[in-house]
Amino acid sequence: MHDQGVTETAARVQKGETTAEATTEAALARIAQLNPAVNAFSHVAGEKAIAQARAVDAKRARGDKPGILAGVPVAVKDAICTRGIPTTAASKILAGYVPPYDATVIERLRAADAIIIGKANMDEFAMGSSNENSAFGAVKNPWDVTRTPGGSSGGSAAAVAARMTPCALGSDTGGSIRQPAALTGTVGIKPTYGRVPRYGLIAFASSLDQIGPFATDVRGAARVLSVIAGPDSRDSTSLVAKADDFEAACGRSVKGLRIGVPDEYFADGLDGEVSASVRAAIGELEKEGCVVVPVHLPHTRFAVATYYVLANAEASSNLARFDGVRYGLRVDEPGGDLRAMYGATRDAGFGAEVKRRILLGTFVLSAGYFDAYYIKAQRVRTLVRRDFENAFREVDVVCSPTYPTPAFRLGERMDDPLAMYLSDVYTLPASLAGIPAMSVPCAPTASGLPVGLQVMARPLDEATMLRVAAAWEARSSTRSARPAMAVGLEGTA
Amino acid sequence: MPAPKVDRALVLHVAKLACLSLSDLEADRFAGELARIIGLVEQLDLVETSDVPPTAHVQLERAPWREDEPAPGLSHDDALAQAPRVEQGGFAVPTFVE
Repeated sequence: MHDQGVTETAARVQKGETTAEATTEAALARIAQLNPAVNAFSHVAGEKAIAQARAVDAKRARGDKPGILAGVPVAVKDAICTRGIPTTAASKILAGYVPPYDATVIERLRAADAIIIGKANMDEFAMGSSNENSAFGAVKNPWDVTRTPGGSSGGSAAAVAARMTPCALGSDTGGSIRQPAALTGTVGIKPTYGRVPRYGLIAFASSLDQIGPFATDVRGAARVLSVIAGPDSRDSTSLVAKADDFEAACGRSVKGLRIGVPDEYFADGLDGEVSASVRAAIGELEKEGCVVVPVHLPHTRFAVATYYVLANAEASSNLARFDGVRYGLRVDEPGGDLRAMYGATRDAGFGAEVKRRILLGTFVLSAGYFDAYYIKAQRVRTLVRRDFENAFREVDVVCSPTYPTPAFRLGERMDDPLAMYLSDVYTLPASLAGIPAMSVPCAPTASGLPVGLQVMARPLDEATMLRVAAAWEARSSTRSARPAMAVGLEGTA
Repeated sequence: MPAPKVDRALVLHVAKLACLSLSDLEADRFAGELARIIGLVEQLDLVETSDVPPTAHVQLERAPWREDEPAPGLSHDDALAQAPRVEQGGFAVPTFVE
C-alpha cells in the first residue's frame, strides 16, 4: 500500500502516474468516510476542488510542468480567507461569510497547483486548546474519538492524522499548530514571526499570529512551508529575509549540533510517559552525534500570565471589527440605536470563551489597569525573549515536550478555563519570543496516544529546526503510525 | 497595586466598553472566572522589571515601504455583497445621532 505524503503525491501527479483529479476524488472519498466521526471539516469544497484539479491536469496535458504541490489536497483552517468558499473562524458571528478574496497563502498554494479541498474546523477565532469552542461542534481525535485533537487548529490536525489529506494549514498564536500536532501524531510548524504573510488571516493577536503547515512527515511540512513563506507587500509584518531551502535541510546531518534541554520544561505537571518519550527521542539524537546540554529558561513559568494578558488585549481590539455592519451576523433591537445593535449582535454572535477573552483583554487595556497589567506583561515578554537569546548563545536548538500530557478527554476541562490555559506553558514562550518552533511525533504512550517532541530554533533558522526534526523522524518508528480508522483506506494520503 | 475586586459591576463596566450586552447571569459567571484568571496574572508582580523595556512586537526587520502604485481594490458590489443591510449603495446602520 502506498503511504502517500505531500512529496510522494506531488511526484506521482508530476510524472503522470496519477492525476490531480484522482488524488482529489480519493481525498473526498476519505473525507466522506471518516469526517462524520471526526468532524474535522467545517466545509468541504468538493466541486471547486474537482474543478481546480482538472485545471492542474489540463496544464500538464498542455505540456506545462505542474507545480511542486501538484494535486496535493490541503485542508485550510477556517480562519484563512478563501475566495468563494465560506470562511467563518468557527463563529456564529461570521456564519455564511464568503470572502471576496484569497489570503496570500491560498494564492501561493493555488499557484503551486495544490488543491483547496475544504475548510478545517477550529476553536472559535482560534481561542482554545481543545477544539471544543466551535460553532460547528468539537473535533474528535482520530486516535480516540472520546478525546480532543487539541486546538485551536484541531480540524487541520485531525484531517492529517486520519489521512483525509496529506497536509493542512493552521495558525499558531500560542501553540495552536504545535499542540494539536502533538496530540494527533502529526508534524506541525510555527514559523518565525513574519516568515509567512498573514494577509487574509482573520486576526486574533497581531503580535503573535503566524500561519504554518501540518503534514504527515517533516519533509512534506517543509515543502508546504517553502511554498507559503516569503515577503508580501500586503502584510507589513512579513519579512524580506531570504528563506533557506527548507526541504534540503531535512536531509542534512545533525552531527555536532548542540541541543539545549531546559529543566523548566520537565517540571511538575509533566506526564511521566510524555517525559520518557521525549527524553528517549533526545537520546536518539545524541546517538546521531548531537551534543545535549542543559539550558535555563527561568521566566518560563510566567509565560502563561504574560500571554493571556497580551494575546487577549490584542484580541479585544481585533474583534472590535465584528459589529454587524459590513459582514456577518446582525441583531437589530426593535427601536434600538447603534450601540444596542452592536451589543446585541456581539452577545448573540460570540461564544463564551471569546467573550471571556474580550472581557479580559478590554479590562487590562482599560484606564487604571493599563500599566499594571498590559505594560507589565510587555516587560516580562522582554525577559522571556532574553531567556532564549541567552540559550541560543550556547545551543543551536532547544528540545522539549510540546504539551505536558497526551490528548485529554472531551469535556474534561471545559468548566475550568484556567486549567486549560496553564497547560499551554510549553508552547507559549516560543510565541512570545517570535522564534520558529515545531512539533514532531515521538513514541506514543502505552495506550497508544501520540506524543510530540518540540524543537525550537533561533529566529529565521527554520532550516536547523527542520534538520533536527527530520533526523529524529528518520530514526523513529512512529512515522508510518496511523490511527486504526485510517488503516487500509483506498488511495490513502 | 492592590488587586481589583472583580464583581458583576466591574464586568458590566468592561462589557460596556467592549460593546457586549451581557445578562446578569453571564456577568456573574464571568466575574468568577475573570477573578481567577486575574489572580494568576498577579504573579507577574513577582518579576522585577523596573529596568526592563516593554516588548510590543518581535518583528525582526523594519517594515520596508512598498511602492505607492495604484492597484484595483474590491469593487463596490463585492464590498457590499456580505453586508447584512444595504441602503442607497452603502452600509445601513441604526440611527446614532438625534
